[in-house]
Amino acid sequence: MPLFSRQASANPGGSARTKSSAAKRRLRASGALAAAAAVVLALGACGSGGSAPKSSDGKVELRFSWWGGDKRAQLTQAAIAAFEAENPNIKIKPEYGDWSGYWDKLATQVAANDAPDIIQMDEKYITEYSTRGALLDLSKHDIDTSKLDEAALNAGKGEKGLTGIAAGINAATILANPAVFQAAGVPLPDDKTWTWEDFERISAELTAKSPKGTYGSAAYGTDEASLGVWLRQNGKSLYTDDGKLGFEPSDIAEWWTFLKELSEKKAVPSASEVVEAEAAPLDQSGLATGKNGLAFWWSNQLPALEKASGGELQILRFPSKTGKSADTQLWYKASQFWSASSRTKHPEETAKFINFLANNVKAGEALLADRGVYPNSEVRTAIESKLTPADVKVVKFIDQIKDELGEAPAPPPKGAGAIQEIIKRYTSEVLFNRLSTEEAGKKAVDEMKSAIS
Amino acid sequence: MSAISELSSLSRRKGPVTEEEKRANRRDNKAAYVFLLPWLVGLLAITIGPMLMSLYLAFTDYSLLQPPEWTGLDNFIRMFGDARLHNSLGVTFTYVLVGVPLQLAVALVIALVLDKGLRGLPFYRSVFYLPSLLGGSVAVALLWKQIFGTTGLVNQVLALVGIQGPGWISDPSTSLSSIILLHVWTFGSPMIIFLAGLRQIPNMYYEAAEVDGASTLQKFWRITLPMLSPIIFFNLVLQIIGSFQSFTQAFIVSGGSGGPSDSTMFFTLYLYQKGFGQFDMGYASAMAWFLLVIIGAFTAINFIASKYWVFYDD
Repeated sequence: MPLFSRQASANPGGSARTKSSAAKRRLRASGALAAAAAVVLALGACGSGGSAPKSSDGKVELRFSWWGGDKRAQLTQAAIAAFEAENPNIKIKPEYGDWSGYWDKLATQVAANDAPDIIQMDEKYITEYSTRGALLDLSKHDIDTSKLDEAALNAGKGEKGLTGIAAGINAATILANPAVFQAAGVPLPDDKTWTWEDFERISAELTAKSPKGTYGSAAYGTDEASLGVWLRQNGKSLYTDDGKLGFEPSDIAEWWTFLKELSEKKAVPSASEVVEAEAAPLDQSGLATGKNGLAFWWSNQLPALEKASGGELQILRFPSKTGKSADTQLWYKASQFWSASSRTKHPEETAKFINFLANNVKAGEALLADRGVYPNSEVRTAIESKLTPADVKVVKFIDQIKDELGEAPAPPPKGAGAIQEIIKRYTSEVLFNRLSTEEAGKKAVDEMKSAIS
Repeated sequence: MSAISELSSLSRRKGPVTEEEKRANRRDNKAAYVFLLPWLVGLLAITIGPMLMSLYLAFTDYSLLQPPEWTGLDNFIRMFGDARLHNSLGVTFTYVLVGVPLQLAVALVIALVLDKGLRGLPFYRSVFYLPSLLGGSVAVALLWKQIFGTTGLVNQVLALVGIQGPGWISDPSTSLSSIILLHVWTFGSPMIIFLAGLRQIPNMYYEAAEVDGASTLQKFWRITLPMLSPIIFFNLVLQIIGSFQSFTQAFIVSGGSGGPSDSTMFFTLYLYQKGFGQFDMGYASAMAWFLLVIIGAFTAINFIASKYWVFYDD
């Protein structure tokens, strides 16, 4: 039974127009009424989409958004439950998702005057949001900051006041998967003395002695943290205190030159695999799946990565140029911030919740070290016994490097959110041999300058 | 086409219009508007309103976080010096100018095969149409990413014959081709329209040609193509407009980055990144209007050119 029969409907007879009877007219009128009513109802439904100040049972409802994986969601939900148990009149509605979609969504929500009350913020974006007046000055509200680590607290201060409370302390690290080392019969490096040459040699050896498709190390060049470490070891920095770029095209070109060397010696995956790895979520990363022996991650990501890999991982310091751990130039980073929307209808309740997250032992017991080491020294001590072995590793590492840290870096300026994307793009230009490292350096720095100007 | 001629014959009514008829007409119109109301409200609130807003925003500096500031033609002037925008235009033009003809060719070939009166035609038609239902969807783009990955299905098959394939979508030299292939694969809706068009060609032409001893190829060139040209034209216009706006495939396959190295950075994707990722909604709005002008120009060229090759049989 063909649907389109040839020549079947050449002329169906035209549509005859009949005169409407009185009955039809009545029908029409009532139909019109119904249609109009439907429109009104539909519009009414749209109108209630905004933030409702109070839910039906008189509770204050706050919206809380963060980025992160499943593990973080579970821990954060537990902290919310603990808060709600103490504050039966406040209800916290979680909104969470992946890093990549998070910022698009947040910008749109702020534009639509529909921002969540409590916002998990990153250092790359906090200046953008706070200088544009989107964040609440938390120092004007009832939040106890006396127990917080001073450097972490200062990281949340800017020209618009205290717009973020550090949620945790972090450091840039290299994580090692001992199983990959063992399988290849390569000993783990001594991270107190290793240099970049050691890193290259060990990674290349690991690749050579591992099955096809496994590489000694993941490539750097997809984030600014590894560039930051490299620059600091060369006496430069990502940003200067007055919000400018702290390095020259030749500095980043040198960084790429070494990456190309790593790539040529097969110490890191092929260009195509590097591009694919960029898009993979944490639990499918090369380190978690046993495809990389070493990889560049923040210290707080170790527990989630261990969970994904199903085995133990080890935290290593970055290599240095000199082989002295004091020259590694690491720093404590505020992993994330608790910020509040400047247009929240409930600043008091919002501050109360942030105060709970920052200072309450119960919050600490729920969140543990997922967002980094607790900046509140009292909470940190109180939850020590509850930490998982993975968390303990993170805390220990942060303690160990305390005396080796370099100067605190300048905060990322407005527009810094675009930098990572620029680094990534030119890294692939370099790895695919489409640009020389010098050309890439020059172009990348030009773009970065205009992004943060 | 027959529907259009019916409509025009309706409007060409003979004889004077009586008072009674005029009143009935007005009542009919009123009722029509009332029934159209839900759609009209949607058109105004969801399409026209935002469009006018974006026209205004195109002349402003708007960061999303702060109110827009009037900057006149600044955004449009900036476009001239934006190398990434020029690159995105190149990517989009390549996609449209290669992808659309390829897709239409495939659609036509499949339609011709199906038109031969295959047994179980509805089944095959559905099977061939399926990719189009799925093609724009996130799931298929994700699947594409897997199939064309460095260790994906394609390379596994190639490995069987000893070829080490590239990372099709992660290598800048092949990534756009992979997305064009995805586009070609979704040939279903033009195919259905072609199929309908083929069925409208009167059999007598073919019979007459047969009597005159025309070959299959001659029949295709002399009868099928000219008779089908309005349908080809229709598909061409629709597909060009749609392809200029395509976004999902590139967004999903590249993980939202337009990478590697901007090789899949469609104009729409760059627009999205500017507006929602880089706090530059004014510029993004200006880009949107620029795209509208481009699409308008292409459609106009299409209509002008159609006079020379589209054949209307009436």
